[in-house]
Amino acid sequence: MVNIYEAQRANKIKSTIIVAGFFVFVTAAVYILVQATSVYMGYEFGGLGFMGMALIISGISSYVGYYYSDRIVLSISKARKADRIKDFNFYTVTENLAIASGIPKPKLYVIEDSAPNAFATGRDPEHAVICATTGLLDKLNRTELEGVIAHELTHIKNYDTRLMSVVSVLVGIVALLGDWFLRIGFHGRKSDNDKGQLGAIFLILGLVFAILSPIIAQLIQLAVSRRREFTADAGSVFITKQPRGLIMALEKISADMEPLEVANKATAHLYIVSPFKGNVKGAVGRFAGLFNTHPPVKDRVKVLSGMV
Amino acid sequence: MNYVYVIVAILGVILLWLISTYNFFVSSKARIKASIQEIGNQLKRQFDLIPNLEESAKAYLMHEKKIYDALTEARKAISGAIKSGDVQKMSDAGSKLSQVLPQIQVVVESNPELKASEVIGKLMDELRDTADKVMYARRLVIDLTADFNVKRVEFPSSLVAGMCKFDELPGLITPEKGEHVEVKGKEIQTPKVDLG
Repeated sequence: MVNIYEAQRANKIKSTIIVAGFFVFVTAAVYILVQATSVYMGYEFGGLGFMGMALIISGISSYVGYYYSDRIVLSISKARKADRIKDFNFYTVTENLAIASGIPKPKLYVIEDSAPNAFATGRDPEHAVICATTGLLDKLNRTELEGVIAHELTHIKNYDTRLMSVVSVLVGIVALLGDWFLRIGFHGRKSDNDKGQLGAIFLILGLVFAILSPIIAQLIQLAVSRRREFTADAGSVFITKQPRGLIMALEKISADMEPLEVANKATAHLYIVSPFKGNVKGAVGRFAGLFNTHPPVKDRVKVLSGMV
Repeated sequence: MNYVYVIVAILGVILLWLISTYNFFVSSKARIKASIQEIGNQLKRQFDLIPNLEESAKAYLMHEKKIYDALTEARKAISGAIKSGDVQKMSDAGSKLSQVLPQIQVVVESNPELKASEVIGKLMDELRDTADKVMYARRLVIDLTADFNVKRVEFPSSLVAGMCKFDELPGLITPEKGEHVEVKGKEIQTPKVDLG
């Protein structure tokens, strides 16, 4: 039995470790790739040249995505505004839990789809949006809905959208730098200013990193995403003071085999349960699990059941 | 020369930490004040709904004199609590109404006409929802006060609390001894369910 404060503290520590490890990895990858590129091209671009370009390109696209995240996701998902009378439970549950968590009530939207799912987005609690499908609102009772909404509110309160945007900017930088290094390798010229032994080492390391680091960075990004899901589950129990609602909601949602029509890879990580259902067992399943944005529902239920 | 910079940097970090801890304490106090006002806000919503309920169900409620009196008493308690602004009074007034609601529910369920009425149905939903809202507003006060009190005794923020003389905040007063925290012998036994 783990009490909820301990669970939250453990999650915070694990999150910090993963995110810190991610930053260390990215710093190392960027440093090696920039050095390798400049060795190959025979001169140093004042250190920050390539990295600066990659940062700007990756940064602008991610920043726009993050800043307008609410509008972008809503337009992809064909959502309509929630109505207090028609969607009484959805509306009042969110109102109540927003009071309990001390954040302003997020804007609410509904997607007409019988597959049950929900997501939250927005750059900060003042511009937050929660969206649920009609399938979810019909299939869950009020207590289960409270569990789901509390989970989404915790995502908003923890600025998870901001975190995942920063992480994806960094993944983008690593991918771009690796890509450029490999391209220069095909077209570039051998330099007269040969740096000798150190240069050779950097070239080899650069090659290894260029090939491996984008995928490693993505795997760490997915690990961050999974850890934030566990954290949001714990936060949900903290708000509602009981794990039963969320447990039953997760089991109901995962038992439903229907794929969500409006989901796509770009928005998958925002949903409460991964909208892509795949049930591969065994070693292949475990390996495939590394590429999941969400932890398996079984594990989430197990952790929740142990909470007081 | 270098170690002068290091010392200045360390002192700077400590100063920043001191400022942010102090800010946490004073901003928590302000937030707790606001959350107490939120309880008053939700109570007022309940208060405004009651006359509607009384009007719609008057004929039936008049028969149930006990319930009608309890409702009137709850209304008086709520309006008195809102005027006084005392969080304990507000909490007690909210509980008074929560206790009457199940009794009204019984009346509605046992009267086919009342049960079928859409207006009454919506009113009961709204009343239950306002009772929930008062509960969540109380919970926010409890959580914010807990955060404040925990930081007050944890090291190293306890140093700041001691320096600036921050006292423990009471939050919602619940007696720490009493029936609600005891489990008596009979309650431990497995209940027997008789469906016969």
